[in-house]
Amino acid sequence: MTQHTRAFRSKDRRRADLAAGLSSAAMLTPAIGLISIFIIIPAALAVFGSFFQFSTTSSNWTWVGLDNYAKAAGDPIFWTALRNNAIIVIGSVILQVGFGTVLAAILDRGLPRAATVFRTIIFAPMVVSTVAVALIWLIILDPNIGSLNALVRGVGLTPPQLGWLGDPNVAMWMILVIAAWQYTGFMMVLILAGLQGIPKELYEAASLDGAIGLKAFWHITLPSVRNVLIVAVLITTIGGFKVFDLVYATTGGGPANSTQVLGTYAYLQAFTLQNMGYANTISVVLLIIAVILGWLQLRISRRAGS
Amino acid sequence: MTRFRIANVVMYGFVSLWSLCILAPLAWMVFAAFKSRREIFTDPLGLPDTITFASFGRAWDVGMATFLLNSALITVAAVAIIVVVSGMAAYVFARSTSFWLRLLYLAVVAGFAVPVQAVLVPLFQMLSAAGFINSQAAVVLPYAAYGIPFTTILFYAFFLDFPRELEEAARLDGAGRFATFFRVILPLSGPAIASAAIFQAVFIWNEFLLALLLLTRPATRTLPVGIMQLRGEYSSDWPAVMAGLTIAVIPILVIFILAQKYFVRSMAGLGK
Repeated sequence: MTQHTRAFRSKDRRRADLAAGLSSAAMLTPAIGLISIFIIIPAALAVFGSFFQFSTTSSNWTWVGLDNYAKAAGDPIFWTALRNNAIIVIGSVILQVGFGTVLAAILDRGLPRAATVFRTIIFAPMVVSTVAVALIWLIILDPNIGSLNALVRGVGLTPPQLGWLGDPNVAMWMILVIAAWQYTGFMMVLILAGLQGIPKELYEAASLDGAIGLKAFWHITLPSVRNVLIVAVLITTIGGFKVFDLVYATTGGGPANSTQVLGTYAYLQAFTLQNMGYANTISVVLLIIAVILGWLQLRISRRAGS
Repeated sequence: MTRFRIANVVMYGFVSLWSLCILAPLAWMVFAAFKSRREIFTDPLGLPDTITFASFGRAWDVGMATFLLNSALITVAAVAIIVVVSGMAAYVFARSTSFWLRLLYLAVVAGFAVPVQAVLVPLFQMLSAAGFINSQAAVVLPYAAYGIPFTTILFYAFFLDFPRELEEAARLDGAGRFATFFRVILPLSGPAIASAAIFQAVFIWNEFLLALLLLTRPATRTLPVGIMQLRGEYSSDWPAVMAGLTIAVIPILVIFILAQKYFVRSMAGLGK
């Protein structure tokens, strides 16, 4: 090989590297561009904007430092909203992940026949828009024509006088019920996929030691799907903090802010009351919670995958 | 032996009861749609006396056809963009060891954790300043953007396990990275694409918050915002609202039942 061809070769290689680099850049640009414009920059602006006071109509931004955060700390509705998010998270973890696990275990071990039919029915609400689900329940819970009132009266009980969604003490529970109606099937399917990965020999070996039924569920099933369960809890928790559609379409945060959550309260402050800076502050609280939980979810689910 | 039988009865009973609780509200929605405005007050629980399609006509007049079409077009366009854009990015990430690309990948991962609700104000201001209000074509872009991070993460894992021999063969034939991706990788990624596409389609079809803020003119609305409008216009006409909901809900349920295996596989992938 002469000096000349070697030089030519390395030049060729460099040109190939450059071409590969350029095509890589071209293939990355749309994704990075869209994520930057619609996610990263708005997130940065939300944090930035939380230190100002402004409305949609005016371009006047007044620097207020930490005033918005001080306002949130002293705003009882903000704390009600945060508490309601926490109630939805805890209630949803118990109802959706809890019953989802039980349903998945039954479909996996107990009911080999008809399992697909039940799975399809129970999962179905997941594909329906939350707004549609909310409206269906709105009429079921209606004090005048609702079927729940008719049912409750039918068995000789009295329904809440102000209506299921009109009574501040009852409305929050109804939101938990509707959320469980829609999402328990999702959790069931998630956990079912984990259960189906457990080798059958494990159950056979355990049954020789006398571990069957509930005992096997406790000692084999649950530990084997630990990571899937953690991911299920995290998805439910993130969903509980992000909730908007369901509350907006059923109660709108009422009565008297009793079902207000961070999502609806930020929306109210921003687009009804024009307090854009304060709305950003509420959003930033949501943002911090979501980023921490989302990061945890990815870390744990990646470990589950490997 | 009897212990097992009792356990079976309890298990079947529980699953059947839960299924019944899922089906009852949906069945009730359909029954209510066929009732008259008077009958829904006098007999809320029973079956409709006479079947009338009048309420479907009233719901249809609000613009259900437009809402359905808008939702379908926006969903198809956004999902197509998500699959191609995420696929290209994930392929580059999966075939690179560079430190800077690892950093960029982390930016994608960070994007996954940010919910629309948390960036509502700046996003709305940016989009309205850019003239995105009431433009269905423009709404496709933020929808695509919020689907890209998760899809990229999904594809990244899939491409890491992809056999390299095929790519090598393509490269020896003189195909560049771009050509290799579109001619070799993408055609062989059917299952991963189907999973990602179904998952994103369900979310975009049902997305409400951005649509509520951006699509304010009735002709531009998608189904979730459209049925809120229906409720606003027929505040005391429950049969019409239920008829509109039936029109909105039954098609997606039929698609789901026909392809339930793929839906379930796609959604279950989130736990992995």
